[in-house]
Amino acid sequence: MNRNPKNKQKKTAHAGTMHGEAMYKYKLLSYFMDNIPDVIYFKDRKGKLVLVNQAHAKGLGMKPGDVVGKTDFDFFPKNRAQRMAKDDMCVIKTGKPMIDKIERATRPDGIDNYVSTTKIPVRDKIGKIVGLVGITRDITRRMQFEYLEKEKARVEKKLEMLEALNKVKSNFISTVSHELRTPLAIVKQLTALIFDETAGPINDKQREIIKKVENNTERLKKLIDDLLDMSRIERDKLELRYSLVNLNDLLKDSADFYKTLAEEKRIDLSYHLPAKDVNLFIDADRINQAVANFINNAIKFTEEGGKISVEVKVLETKVRVGVIDTGIGIAKSDLPQLFNRFVQVSNTGGAGSKGVGLGLSIVKELIKRHGGEAWIESKLGIGSKFYFTLPRFYRPDALDKDVRDRIGSFLNKGISLQFINLIIVNYKEFRGRIKIGPAELFEDLKRILDTTFRGICRDRFKDLPVILTDVKNGKCSVILPRMREAENARVVRLFKDKIKSYFMGQKVESAFVNIGVSTCPSDACLPAAKRFSARFSVKEVYVGLEMRRFKRVLYKVKVKIFLPENKTETQQTVDISEGGLCFITKKLLKTDSRISIRLEFDKTRDPVIHTDGRVAWIKKVELLSGESLNRYKVGVEFINLKSKHRKIILKKIKP
Amino acid sequence: MTEKKNDKKKILVIEDEKDMSYAVTLQLEAKGYEVITAFDGMEGLDKARMKKPDLIILDLMLPKLDGYKVCRMLKFDEKYKNIPIILFTARAQDSDKKTGREVMADAYITKPFKPAALLDKIQELLALS
Repeated sequence: MNRNPKNKQKKTAHAGTMHGEAMYKYKLLSYFMDNIPDVIYFKDRKGKLVLVNQAHAKGLGMKPGDVVGKTDFDFFPKNRAQRMAKDDMCVIKTGKPMIDKIERATRPDGIDNYVSTTKIPVRDKIGKIVGLVGITRDITRRMQFEYLEKEKARVEKKLEMLEALNKVKSNFISTVSHELRTPLAIVKQLTALIFDETAGPINDKQREIIKKVENNTERLKKLIDDLLDMSRIERDKLELRYSLVNLNDLLKDSADFYKTLAEEKRIDLSYHLPAKDVNLFIDADRINQAVANFINNAIKFTEEGGKISVEVKVLETKVRVGVIDTGIGIAKSDLPQLFNRFVQVSNTGGAGSKGVGLGLSIVKELIKRHGGEAWIESKLGIGSKFYFTLPRFYRPDALDKDVRDRIGSFLNKGISLQFINLIIVNYKEFRGRIKIGPAELFEDLKRILDTTFRGICRDRFKDLPVILTDVKNGKCSVILPRMREAENARVVRLFKDKIKSYFMGQKVESAFVNIGVSTCPSDACLPAAKRFSARFSVKEVYVGLEMRRFKRVLYKVKVKIFLPENKTETQQTVDISEGGLCFITKKLLKTDSRISIRLEFDKTRDPVIHTDGRVAWIKKVELLSGESLNRYKVGVEFINLKSKHRKIILKKIKP
Repeated sequence: MTEKKNDKKKILVIEDEKDMSYAVTLQLEAKGYEVITAFDGMEGLDKARMKKPDLIILDLMLPKLDGYKVCRMLKFDEKYKNIPIILFTARAQDSDKKTGREVMADAYITKPFKPAALLDKIQELLALS
């Protein structure tokens, strides 16, 4: 340690055999001191530097030898040197080490940094304090890192708080809106009674007043409904109720209403609908809401004598609905934010102050949920075009090239075939909700098709179906060589049932599968087989909340179900279809487990049907009031159902 | 159909909002129905059992016993299951309609409703029973 040269010499002289080892230790220590980037120094009781390492000297811009014998006052500004001297004195007087004191310091080259200093007293043989040893480390980077970490944690916490706050806001809006609706409903109900003259005759003036009250309550109701919709969207609680809807009918239904509204402002409102009906798989109420929003907007921003036209254009994969006006238009810079929440564009004139600016953002979300798009094209002073698209039934006669080639190669060989084309229409939106990956989904669909095929055409195994899948676009094409038309119809029927049951099992609430069926007789398409055009008859499969998936047979059939472990259960009411049945039970079965079924139709001479079944899906029966009935809805798929039995079931479930 | 002393049809309105109940009552009485009112679920259930109405209009959000429970208790009871029930609510959630079907309600009307719509539903259901 800090011995003076005399002592050291004595020691080395006396050490004798220790000489080599002490030298070695000394070298190690020197090496350590001179190569470590931390500043190390020894001071005597008066603060004079006795020994410094390279790092210290370098930091001061000197050589170690030039530093020895000097004090901090020779290098540092006075106030800093005083601070350091105070620390030194404290350590030397009290004998207590100073550990990890963090302070800001300015380096000699003028850069601000953070340093951590540790000072330990040095004692001689008898324990008297003769000086101190200090080590100072630059911890700027560590401090920065710690600061960033702290900042990150702070921002994260804030984000969490904001998210929670947003949730509170959404819930609050929802509650408040519900509360607002109750008195509003009463007001509407009571005014309706006066208007109807249920409470006695009223004069024209009174009628006019009541009409105004009614219009304004209606306006208030729309605002509240918009707020509720927005909070539903934010809380992910918006439910769509899909059904097959004729778009022309939907638009025509409200046409009279809007025409009267437009006439009041002397605006010419016209509809240009396609000659052929377009059927879409949509939530009619919600799409109505979107159209209403567009038309209301157009009427609001079009001046007297203007024109509004509602146009429908049928494209290959989608339908575009447009509301085009000759109104005041929207500036280009305002277009992008128009679909944002609460945005009311400034230069829309006096009418712009109406509404809270939720309508368009709701429309956008509704259309997005349908798998479509909404946008606006507009020119200031000329007019605006509001558009949205909805995905359409896949045009079944447009086939991919490789599918056409495969069909062509069969036809060229003179082999007739049946053809099934499957597409999940709402695939884009649907992929986001299904838990399994798309590849896995199509593997499952392939398997379902394969088992269906084997189930029906057990005798003709040599012509296996050719299945081509397009996983990216949600398409699947099946070529069934040498298949008879009647057989194919059965395959498709059963396939449909099994797909429904499969999606139910996957807990998918709204899938829309389109199955096209076509026959290609070999003679009809030759010789120009490559240019053949197949006409399809399209059968749709829906899996949705509103769809009755099975025909309910009430109290007419007795089903005895042989469950695993030799238990039986008798059911009086089941939903039955060609492909399987569904019933409610208290027992919790396992998915994929096998059960035996005995079907007995009451009061008929039909034979008792025995068949096996596979549990395809299980759903807990729950009431909205929070009560759980402790019962399960179970979907069972028939396995090895004899064709004569299938016929009996078919007869039963057809009206 | 049961024989009645007077041929006025009896309708039980179970609704906790008194003013709404008043509006419905006024409207039904104007059309010649006899109206009984109840302001909570328990009272409604009692009155349904004692007064044997021809039809029940039932609000969903009720104090003491909610509309779903009232509906279930009546519909799962052999004695009362033939009384048509119209569910009546300010909520327009689809899940409500679904639950409405599960408790076997006969019809569903969202508040506020067009007076004619309610009367049509009532006539339709009374004609069926």
